[in-house]
Amino acid sequence: MLNRTESPALNQSADIKIPEAKIIYINDNIPVIIVNEGTQEVMKVELVFSAGNISEEIPMLASAASELLDEGTRKRSSAEIAEALDNYGAYFQTECGNDFASVSLYSLSRFLPKTLPVLLEIIKEPAYPEKEIATFCVQGKQRLAVNQEKVDFLARKHFINSLYGNQHPYGHFPSEQDFDTLTPEKLISFHKKNYLNGLVAIVIAGKFNDEQLNLAINEIKNASFKKGNVEKLTIPSSPDALQLHIPKEGAVQSAIRIGRRLFNRKHPDYFKFTILNTILGGYFGSRLMSNIREDKGYTYGIGSGIIPQFFDGYFFISTEVGSDVCSEAIKEIHFELNRLISEAIPSSELNLVKSYLTGSFQRSIDGPFSLSDRYKTLVLNGLELDHYYAYLNTLKNVTSEELLETAHHYLEVIHMTQVIIGP
Amino acid sequence: MIKFDRFTLSNGLTVIVHEDNSSPLVAMNILYKVGARDEDAHKTGFAHLFEHLMFGGSINISSYDEPLQMAGGENNAFTNNDITNYYLTIPSQNLETAFWLESDRMLSLAFTEKSLEVQRNVVVEEFKQRYLNQPYGDVWLMLRPLAYKVHPYQWATIGKEISHIEDATLQDVKSFFKKWYAPNNAILTLVGNCTLETAKQLCEKWFEPIPVSNIPVRNLPIEPKQSEKRTAEINKPVPNSNIYMVWHCCSRLDPEFYATDLLSDILARGKSSRFYLRLVKELKFFTDISAYMLGDLDKSLFMIEGKLVNGISMKDAEDAILNELEKIKHDISEQELQKVKNKVESSLVFSEMSLDSKALNLAYYELIGDANLVNEQITKYQGIGSIEIMNIAKEIFHPENCSVLYYNATK
Repeated sequence: MLNRTESPALNQSADIKIPEAKIIYINDNIPVIIVNEGTQEVMKVELVFSAGNISEEIPMLASAASELLDEGTRKRSSAEIAEALDNYGAYFQTECGNDFASVSLYSLSRFLPKTLPVLLEIIKEPAYPEKEIATFCVQGKQRLAVNQEKVDFLARKHFINSLYGNQHPYGHFPSEQDFDTLTPEKLISFHKKNYLNGLVAIVIAGKFNDEQLNLAINEIKNASFKKGNVEKLTIPSSPDALQLHIPKEGAVQSAIRIGRRLFNRKHPDYFKFTILNTILGGYFGSRLMSNIREDKGYTYGIGSGIIPQFFDGYFFISTEVGSDVCSEAIKEIHFELNRLISEAIPSSELNLVKSYLTGSFQRSIDGPFSLSDRYKTLVLNGLELDHYYAYLNTLKNVTSEELLETAHHYLEVIHMTQVIIGP
Repeated sequence: MIKFDRFTLSNGLTVIVHEDNSSPLVAMNILYKVGARDEDAHKTGFAHLFEHLMFGGSINISSYDEPLQMAGGENNAFTNNDITNYYLTIPSQNLETAFWLESDRMLSLAFTEKSLEVQRNVVVEEFKQRYLNQPYGDVWLMLRPLAYKVHPYQWATIGKEISHIEDATLQDVKSFFKKWYAPNNAILTLVGNCTLETAKQLCEKWFEPIPVSNIPVRNLPIEPKQSEKRTAEINKPVPNSNIYMVWHCCSRLDPEFYATDLLSDILARGKSSRFYLRLVKELKFFTDISAYMLGDLDKSLFMIEGKLVNGISMKDAEDAILNELEKIKHDISEQELQKVKNKVESSLVFSEMSLDSKALNLAYYELIGDANLVNEQITKYQGIGSIEIMNIAKEIFHPENCSVLYYNATK
């Protein structure tokens, strides 16, 4: 008779082996991460620049420079560029974060000789035409207006403002006025400094042959970007914990953000805090989800996270709850924070989270794109592969006592900034 | 080319296996052939509420998530108007845990009052978060009943109204389960580090003992042909006015699906599309405009949604769209057709990058006829000519077939 009440025996996974990527250096020591594996003959070519928000002198410049890259080059109009990539079914993506900006091409490998030159032209020779800037501003203002109606957006904005100050590149959110300061001259000079002279890493991932790889490397070499460096950034000292309630009339839900400034990947407690955060709010079975969603039904979702940046980092809890139960939800969040500080985590729960995180890590290195992202994180933050092995080691060996001490250091309610947007 | 094997258990469960040893993981996907279209008009939102309850413990196992996470697995689920789909990925050495968990909840759920009460509240909050507390979140709640008068596509997956969810009783959800959740109403796919032999052995052990059930024959009302243009208006303090236009079109199962899909791509896919070039860039009437077909299993909808630039009137916006639709009835160049075909090919290839999307694709194609359709999609799109697409445009884009929702900003 089949026994359905007991779990089949679990097998510990053998020690995880992270597949090796090849890293070579071109043009004055710029690293190229090469991951060639998988089943689909597609390629991603990504160029990362020191052109994030921390490199901008006026707000919005970095994200505008990034988003407007494909809106016309000296040789082609924006429509012609779109056409040139669309003809081969290729996709082009820009990302602008706080520390870095990157530009990626996704293409069927066989079309790379046609698509990569377009990508490089876009990055090398954007024209930043006045007309396109105007369209960008209309669209951007409209998006902003929609976001300003969303309680979760407002909570995030006021929370980050409180942590870093709204003038700091890590704390600034674009306002409507910022759009009016954009000019072609400012964009061109930003581009020259931070793209033409700001390449920090290259990623080539997917499934390709030697010819396709050599073509990619040579084309990028010949584009002769100069190596970039991350700007020095002064980080203000941590602010006092703040409590903000910003009224939003007519909202049927309130958005809550609770958290504080912490640290980045290089801090000795980073791994332990990552595990703690998972227990608190980092997976579906977390304490916050179990208590506030699954037991009380106050919300559709609640989670917490740690955001590591090049300099510094922060921790946050976020949720949207029925406005009528907002104060009860906050009470329960505090209860869960206090519980982590005062009681050791039961070993069954800790083991579960260790297994979960080990599985997650395995998923995060599955497939060429995911794996290359892991290596990108290392290269951009000046870390080595042993960083991940140290993490896996912490996952294996950390004890409830150690985590109790870590929690005590970082999760006291009195140190938390709290933002509520709602009626 | 995805190579796969297919077998059927004695209780009717269809199983599809695609071995891919490039990964240490396995994805398991279980598609149940039940969606919001199968709901009673007075008890809507049930298929989706039920998806939530599937995580509240099954007949022999008090928690679904904990043992899965213990085994290093991760899962999720979604419901739409046609299907309810559950998927997970797990390290291959613990694959049997997935069989244990999924087979037990196919067998029966725990059905506790507490679990129902909590999930009712969670879904009510989801309703508020996604449909009420977002600018434009209520669009589909308005559009569906405008376009459909008879067919159950007239309600959204979340349900017609919050009270249907609030009023759900334990008896209601039990009978919903009994009616639809059974091996002979499901498709199971396994993709990843798992051999056919292992799959067979584990399926026979865990799923085969589940009894077959009498699944009702689906007999949904057919939506009568629309005979005049329908319009509705919402006036709300949103930042900008939007226009939503829908036309009745073919289903995912019809041969015209491919031409209709390409039609929407020529109109609006990407920055070199007609809508983007003409309506966003040149006329500057919209900040963004998209066109897509829903691809439902019954007769479906073709949707155009445009976000108006401030100061542009609804009339001008609508006329500009109609003008483009008129043009495409008579003129599609070979070059723009080849372009959208290349885009389709590329997105199909990219959609097979991850184990879980491969597993879902195989299950979905099996649902609509044959899992091997996954390997035939590109050819099917390649075979479409511009005349077919123009004919589709002529067939669907006329005023009597259209419903329009004007979402006016009242600030």
